[in-house]
Amino acid sequence: MRPRIVVTVLVALLILPLLGVPARAQNALVVSTWGGNWKDTVEKVIGKAFTAKTGIPVEYEVGGTIDRLAKARVAKGNPLVDLTFTTTHVARLYISDGLYEKLDMAKLPHAREIAREALRSDYHVGSWAYVYTIAYRPDLVKEDITKWSDLWKPSLKGKIAMPDFDPSHIITIAALMEGGNEINWQKGESRLRQLKDSVAAFFSTDAQSQDLMKTGQGPVQVMLSVNAYHLQEQGIAVKVVQPTDYPGVVGIDTMAVMAGTKKADAAHQFINLALSREIQSELVKALRAGPVHPGAVVPANLRGQPGIFLSAAEWKERGYIMNDEARAKNLPGWREWFTANIVKK
Amino acid sequence: MKLLLVPALVVLAVFAAALASLFRWSLLEFIPGSLQTGGLTLANFRGVLAPQYLGAIQDTVVLSALTTVLTLVCAYPVAYALARTPSRRVRSVLLVLTLAPFFTGAIVRTYAWVLVLGNTVVSWPVPMLFTERGVLVGLVHFSMPTMILILAAALSHIDPIYERAAASLGASPARVFRRVTLPLSMPGIMSGGLIVFAWTLSAFPTPELLGGGKVKMIANVVKDLGLDSFNWPGAAAFAMLALALTLALLTAVGRLSTARAS
Amino acid sequence: MIFRLAVVGLVAFMTLPTVVVIAVSFNPTAILSFPPAGFSLRWYENVLTYPQFQRAAVNSLLVTGGAVALALPVGTFAALALERGRLRGRHVWAAVLLSPVVVPGVAAGLGFLILAAALGLLRSRSVLIAAHVALILPFVVRSVWVSVRNLDPALERAAASLGATPWRAFRRVTLPLLRPGLFAGLLFAIVVSLNEFVVSLFISNRVTEILPVAMFNYVVNYTDPTIAALSSLFIAATFVAVWLADRYLDLGRVFLRH
Repeated sequence: MRPRIVVTVLVALLILPLLGVPARAQNALVVSTWGGNWKDTVEKVIGKAFTAKTGIPVEYEVGGTIDRLAKARVAKGNPLVDLTFTTTHVARLYISDGLYEKLDMAKLPHAREIAREALRSDYHVGSWAYVYTIAYRPDLVKEDITKWSDLWKPSLKGKIAMPDFDPSHIITIAALMEGGNEINWQKGESRLRQLKDSVAAFFSTDAQSQDLMKTGQGPVQVMLSVNAYHLQEQGIAVKVVQPTDYPGVVGIDTMAVMAGTKKADAAHQFINLALSREIQSELVKALRAGPVHPGAVVPANLRGQPGIFLSAAEWKERGYIMNDEARAKNLPGWREWFTANIVKK
Repeated sequence: MKLLLVPALVVLAVFAAALASLFRWSLLEFIPGSLQTGGLTLANFRGVLAPQYLGAIQDTVVLSALTTVLTLVCAYPVAYALARTPSRRVRSVLLVLTLAPFFTGAIVRTYAWVLVLGNTVVSWPVPMLFTERGVLVGLVHFSMPTMILILAAALSHIDPIYERAAASLGASPARVFRRVTLPLSMPGIMSGGLIVFAWTLSAFPTPELLGGGKVKMIANVVKDLGLDSFNWPGAAAFAMLALALTLALLTAVGRLSTARAS
Repeated sequence: MIFRLAVVGLVAFMTLPTVVVIAVSFNPTAILSFPPAGFSLRWYENVLTYPQFQRAAVNSLLVTGGAVALALPVGTFAALALERGRLRGRHVWAAVLLSPVVVPGVAAGLGFLILAAALGLLRSRSVLIAAHVALILPFVVRSVWVSVRNLDPALERAAASLGATPWRAFRRVTLPLLRPGLFAGLLFAIVVSLNEFVVSLFISNRVTEILPVAMFNYVVNYTDPTIAALSSLFIAATFVAVWLADRYLDLGRVFLRH
């Protein structure tokens, strides 16, 4: 071993990383969003149009719903991002710690055109919607599934997959079946317990859910409609159900401005652009999610599909919208109950 | 000589500071639906003494112990071959094949096992995926390269002269192994065993992906609490509890191992 | 004979996922199927042109390089101190040195995140490097300790009696004798750091993101074989590195000291 060379290399390796972080565009708008297709779509559809219109470049911080929340929480007061995309009930968590800035509606003229249900609060507004509903492989499951109560059929034992990072949907449905809802959800407990041995697997990411459907290991799922349509496009025969007994559970992804950001104006412009009819039409095409703007153009293959609402009436009838605060408050308790009673062997 | 320990202790102090930053939260009251916390409380510790949390700790210890033993058994022959083979080519091949899984990355290796253990490649007589069996296979596979390398390093220190001497005195290969090689390689076995055991205690991607939500080890529960439920007080309390118990376990095992090795 | 069969079988078990990964990486469609339904290099193309991977690779080089450069000497000294330092409660110190390995990644990650915020270091790589050093140190210590245990102090005393200073004796006698443990320690340090994504996920952002985090972010969103292609590239690099090391370092001398 030649010590001098080794020492030099070691010292170099030590110093290099500290030689600064590459400079990024100082005036860029930093947007926090989910990765993969979500980020690609926001970038291509909204970001590019925004930069073309305002000349302001956009950069993206990518991650999961909750690790982005964790990073926002510790950066309170001196935010690392300017604008955040997150689910509507998690946004309540941001709001509870003062991480969002109140929206200046005067700077969001397009907000007047969107569905009322998409105006979630003074701090956050919907960007697109979807449902969690039943999706299944008709080629692997030789029977028709048309309603939520079909999930309890003995013939489907061992074929079902559902999310365990957030059991809100199935818990709410079970509660609705017993005359309750997400607030007095205990009414559905015994009904839920019956599902215990039916579940083949629980998934914690979009990718896992799609994998289980692709490989057929979880051919019947409580699935995010966007993921299901994504698979359809890849040629996998997935049927998405508009259940006849209770609607699918609606999810609304939202945008908000971070408190303490120096780019509040730019952030508002971004949001306003995202709510415009043209951009909403592009979003529907690219994401296969439902628009918040009822006037958005929806491609023929998506019209009438679960999760795609085309009018104010459809928002009310074809989806069940949970109470955000109740959901945020009950989620930890739900997870604990769910793990102890449904997931555990 | 004792002072040589100081730099390592500085590193650990930084790590301890990070843990302390989280553990602060264990004494704060968790308010579901809010990021705000209430006042000081011991409720979080009471909460994590529930059966599903203690059960996860127990399951983790058992699974880790099983993994360690199985890994040892599987790794020893390969390590022996690696350290003892006279052929340079064989050694290179063995080394590359041992290192390759390392560089496949934890996530990818686990996905590969998802493929193999699911019934797409081979049809298994008993369900492997989303069961404890499957997770065990994944964990053993994960630890094998580590164990092989440590054992090979240990074995390389044993002068083959001892083995040759024993053989020339009439001992069978099995006897040589039992009476000469095995005892002399004890330090390596203990070292490797300890690190595999310790690392498996905090395993995350393997049970997360191969367990399908049904096999929860300590790290999965911390993620469930700290991320999905956003219950930092609960996650901190549970992490503290698990850490205290596993460190006590490690000290006990470590004491046993140094006693046996000497 | 049985021994040889056992070794082959075990190596096959160890290599199985590697084979699957390489096979899957050539699949023409965006499905992880084995055996692959055809042959295509599109995922390799995707890997090499994905900008986030390029940036993350550079970050990994910096972070892993820095962490390894720190962990090797610190770990070696610690191993020497543990074996020779006549410390009371040696196994307690040993357990303490092992502890970062036992801590669940999410807990450590959250802790480092909170600490970094408190110190105003949220945009810097230094926390990332510090975390990596802490996480790879136990492996270095354990590996080197195995070799230290086998050191015959007589050799170092002999060097001293021949007039060598302690530093010279360390460099010329001790270090070479520690080669197997050092080599194993170096390997572990590199591998653990290059694969660490759980803790790193929390304390990195889009600028400082290292390769395993970028891979993780990819894998939770996309279900195509791109990551399989990336891993196959790593494996190929391993082959080359080991071949080179064997040619120029003669790994036999590293592993067999006789």
